Amino acid sequence: MTKLLKYMKGYTKECILSPFFKMLEAFFELLVPLVVANIIDVGIGKTPSYIVYACLIMAGLGAIGLTCTMFAQYFAAKASVGFVSKIKSALFSHITSLSYTEIDKLGTATLITRMSSDANQVQSGVNLTLRLFMRSPIIVFGAMIMAFTVSPTPAVVFTVTIPLLALVVFGIMCGTIPLYKGVQGKVDGVLNTARENLTGIRVIRAFGLEESEKTKFHKKTLDLNKAQNFVGRISAIMNPATYAIVNIAIAVLIYTGALEVNSGNLTQGEVIALYNYMSQILIELVKLASLIITMTKSLACANRIQNVFEIKSSQEVIECKDGDKKYSVQFKNAYLKYESSPEYSLENIDFSALPGETIGIIGGTGSGKSSLINMIGRFYDASSGEVFVNGKNVKSYDPAKLREMLGIVPQRAVLFKGTIRDNMKWGDENATDEEILKAIEIAQAKDVLDSKEEGLDFLIEQGGKNLSGGQRQRFTIARALVGKPEIIILDDSSSALDYLTDSKLRGAIASIDYKPTVFIVSQRTASIQHADKIIVLDDGKIVGIGKHKELLKDCVVYSEIYNSQFTNGGEN
Amino acid sequence: MKKSNLSTLKRVFKYLKKHWALVLLSVLFALGSVLITLYIPIRIGNAIDLIIEAGKVDFDKMMPILFEIGILALCVALLQWVMNNINNKITYNVTMDVRNDAFDKIEGLPLKFVDSHQYGEIVSKMISDVDQFTDGLLMGFTQFFTGVATIIGTLCFMLYLSPIITIVVVVFTPLSLLIASFISKSTFKLFKKQSEKRGNETSLVDEAIGNLKVVKVFSQEDEMQQKFELADEELKKVSIKAIFFSSLVNPTTRFVNALVYAGVALVGAFTVMNVIPIGALSIGALATFLSYANQYAKPFNEISGVVTELQNALACASRVFDLIDEDEEIKDNENALVLNKPNGDVDLCDVAFSYSPDKDLIKGLNLSVKGGMRVAIVGPTGCGKTTLINLLMRFYDVNSGSISVDGTDIRDITRHSLRHSYGMVLQETWLQGGTIRDNIKMGKPEATDEEVIQAAKECHAHSFIKRLPLGYDTIVSDESNSLSQGQKQLLCISRIMLALPEMLILDEATSSIDTRTELKIQESFLKLMKGRTSFVVAHRLSTIREADVILVMNKGNIVEMGNHNELINKKGFYWELYNSQFSTTE
Repeated sequence: MTKLLKYMKGYTKECILSPFFKMLEAFFELLVPLVVANIIDVGIGKTPSYIVYACLIMAGLGAIGLTCTMFAQYFAAKASVGFVSKIKSALFSHITSLSYTEIDKLGTATLITRMSSDANQVQSGVNLTLRLFMRSPIIVFGAMIMAFTVSPTPAVVFTVTIPLLALVVFGIMCGTIPLYKGVQGKVDGVLNTARENLTGIRVIRAFGLEESEKTKFHKKTLDLNKAQNFVGRISAIMNPATYAIVNIAIAVLIYTGALEVNSGNLTQGEVIALYNYMSQILIELVKLASLIITMTKSLACANRIQNVFEIKSSQEVIECKDGDKKYSVQFKNAYLKYESSPEYSLENIDFSALPGETIGIIGGTGSGKSSLINMIGRFYDASSGEVFVNGKNVKSYDPAKLREMLGIVPQRAVLFKGTIRDNMKWGDENATDEEILKAIEIAQAKDVLDSKEEGLDFLIEQGGKNLSGGQRQRFTIARALVGKPEIIILDDSSSALDYLTDSKLRGAIASIDYKPTVFIVSQRTASIQHADKIIVLDDGKIVGIGKHKELLKDCVVYSEIYNSQFTNGGEN
Repeated sequence: MKKSNLSTLKRVFKYLKKHWALVLLSVLFALGSVLITLYIPIRIGNAIDLIIEAGKVDFDKMMPILFEIGILALCVALLQWVMNNINNKITYNVTMDVRNDAFDKIEGLPLKFVDSHQYGEIVSKMISDVDQFTDGLLMGFTQFFTGVATIIGTLCFMLYLSPIITIVVVVFTPLSLLIASFISKSTFKLFKKQSEKRGNETSLVDEAIGNLKVVKVFSQEDEMQQKFELADEELKKVSIKAIFFSSLVNPTTRFVNALVYAGVALVGAFTVMNVIPIGALSIGALATFLSYANQYAKPFNEISGVVTELQNALACASRVFDLIDEDEEIKDNENALVLNKPNGDVDLCDVAFSYSPDKDLIKGLNLSVKGGMRVAIVGPTGCGKTTLINLLMRFYDVNSGSISVDGTDIRDITRHSLRHSYGMVLQETWLQGGTIRDNIKMGKPEATDEEVIQAAKECHAHSFIKRLPLGYDTIVSDESNSLSQGQKQLLCISRIMLALPEMLILDEATSSIDTRTELKIQESFLKLMKGRTSFVVAHRLSTIREADVILVMNKGNIVEMGNHNELINKKGFYWELYNSQFSTTE
């Protein structure tokens, strides 16, 4: 939490003024019992006019109090919303700065929760804290001090009561924090199940698992329910306990007050003032207790946000020695090991690609094709060895500059909410419609575009749900081509395309006039057999590099793959 | 706003009905604790009256009163604690019930609804809206009853003590109510607006962070940041207003309270002095009155707090109820047939279907498949292959025409038995959070470990599973990156291998699996398909060459039908598609 406080900067004024005005209000409230004591001791029976005067003062104190709080509430609202807005903005930027390694580790669902519900909770926590956290202690301790000014002996009751109350309040608070954390974890579980059932709805229905899924979900909500009730039982002690303590204290107070009155040191009106001060403490404690519950929840949320901030991207820009300038892409004995896995995913990768060359990468499922491709854009760092783009180590590039040079089509075809044009401009924000249309044509998506009345202004829904898988894939290819990247990387990007479209696509890419370096990852030999160089991967190792014909002769794995696709059904 | 709020409130009460005994108990306890709470100040006043001045304090009378106060306070504490627990129980149970209802609804919603809504939005209704709604409910419970009871109780006790002062208090009451209702009215609108803006922001976050890897590929971090900050700026403006207005409720009622307090002090003091001739009052009773005046405002504070909270809660509740009220899939016919080991004859008769009424997709589709036949569906992207599967599985209903299995219209067959007769592997793999074993067992929960391993072996998934540190007990989820796309697909196929349904739908089932592995699985697939009606969608023509019937689809229609050789000889659309696969072959 403490480290989040720096986002309060810019709201210092509000953070001081809000509690300050609250303090003023509290101060005026503390004067009221004294006025009442005077009404009884001075006004009643002696000077009736004093009563009217005193009551006007009380009403006036109320009016000033109201004005003060209005300021306080406004500043508190402004500061809490502004503070959390800053945190969210910084958090968003922090999350987007994380590298793939951290994203894999945290999972996107968690990150989304931190940005939304956790942030909201922090906001209401801060708001309430600014409004009440200063007011309550001031009323509590102020009441004690006032009691001492009235009469020191009975006031001793306050010095016993207040620590006792603090013990109850803080004891319960400390006891429940970890429990609330557990509850939150269970909420996450419920959330995940709900989400999972939406994404997997077809499979669940296909297997007719609706009922068993319901049972599972009901069990999760029941678990949550039990945990909530358990915490609830403990926090429910707070109000009743404080109430009992204060009222017993009042009884003691009246007794000690009576002793003082009996010996002539105190008046009846002053006993009433003491009683009023004790009552004020109770009212304030009720508020403090609910504030503390909100605060404990908020603190837990703040800490979870803080934890995300503490995860640093494992990648930094480091000056490294240059490689051979003549190559567009060069791998030198590169190894890759994922954090979650005990074994190397890539071992001893060593190859180079000249500008304008087309490189095919082929291999079985899990052979490391995508991992290799991901290293070119430095989405993962080599565990050892080096990767160069245009002769410069990828670690020495500003990541944005490096990725600007690449046109990557990821395996999963994801488009974002917005027009087709907006999506295409991801490749190059200054792209003209003409350039976009050109890219769409190369990507074989012209007919899809033509079928949309709105053309480039066609609104794509979140996740591209209003397009079919194949349509999405072609647009993601076009998106990668828009910026005229020096290096084009197709990561198994034609899986949702039929062979006809796929071959047209390859033809169109091969005829791009500025001759980019092209990487084609595929499981189909047909897609890559014309490449200038084919890299055959098996279980994370290169088992063959060369042209189609050479590999057919020399590389067992390659010829096996080839035969699996081209035998038992003669080629035309 | 009023009417819809009312109906939402009615729904809430329906959920409460189940817990009527607890509600009743809670009300009784609330009344009990309120009565004692109000009685204590009277006893305190009595005690204070015994303190007159030096040497005139009646300790003998005072001590029993003081003990009584202590014991009563303990009673109140106990009553309150039990009441709090009851209230917690009620609200948490309602939360659970509402969530369960919402989830049950999801399981019954037509695919059409789910496909056209954002997952994040539905989930947020189930989680954060329900949370906010119950938070409001919890506050409502604990404070509404006690609040109302305190107000009524206080009035009664006050009338008993002094009718005149009571009038002073009552005169101020409407003012308090007026202010509270004015504020809550304006905050309701603001809260609703806030909830909208928050929804926008959440779906933006969902999109950007959910697809963070793509964002990074295109270095769109800054652009996304800008979009986010824009959305947040809008939210911020509304939030500040909403929070400010809602936080005015307490101070204004506190101000009214201060006026009441001053009024009571004024009239009370004069009554004590007998300036006002009606009803004499002791100083102790005045102290009791002042303490009432303090407590009298508190429930107004709380009730108005409840009002704002409830407004917000109702806004959330109505969104949750909207979800729960969505139309479910049309129920199965009462005498719907339970499909048991069907022969697998599938007939499509003049089927027409489209996702949106203004655009035809499938029209006049006729097809007759005999049991055990292998049907391959090919065609360019977007030709309607996936739609056909949606119709076969009855994820969507045909607009006109009919589909029948073994001669029975599928609308007269229970959905469950229809879907259960099909084994489906989709291109988009989906794993459930849980162990690999659980995932394979999805279609046959009673399967033994040996059967699971056998199925995995047949799909050549066993070798990679056993290399995982925890083997079949490895926890996987749809989002986990520990498995490759192809490995996930192998697991999905293993499910079908284990379940062995009578009919098969394979939609690009092997698209992410390398061809070497695929070739190895092929054998098992062939074994599996033998005697089973199967619909196979594939781009790899080599995998469907041996189909009994090949449907060549284009733009929602079947353009060609026949076996491989027939279609090749026809030199039509299929021939063109087929050649394109090898067009680059030297």
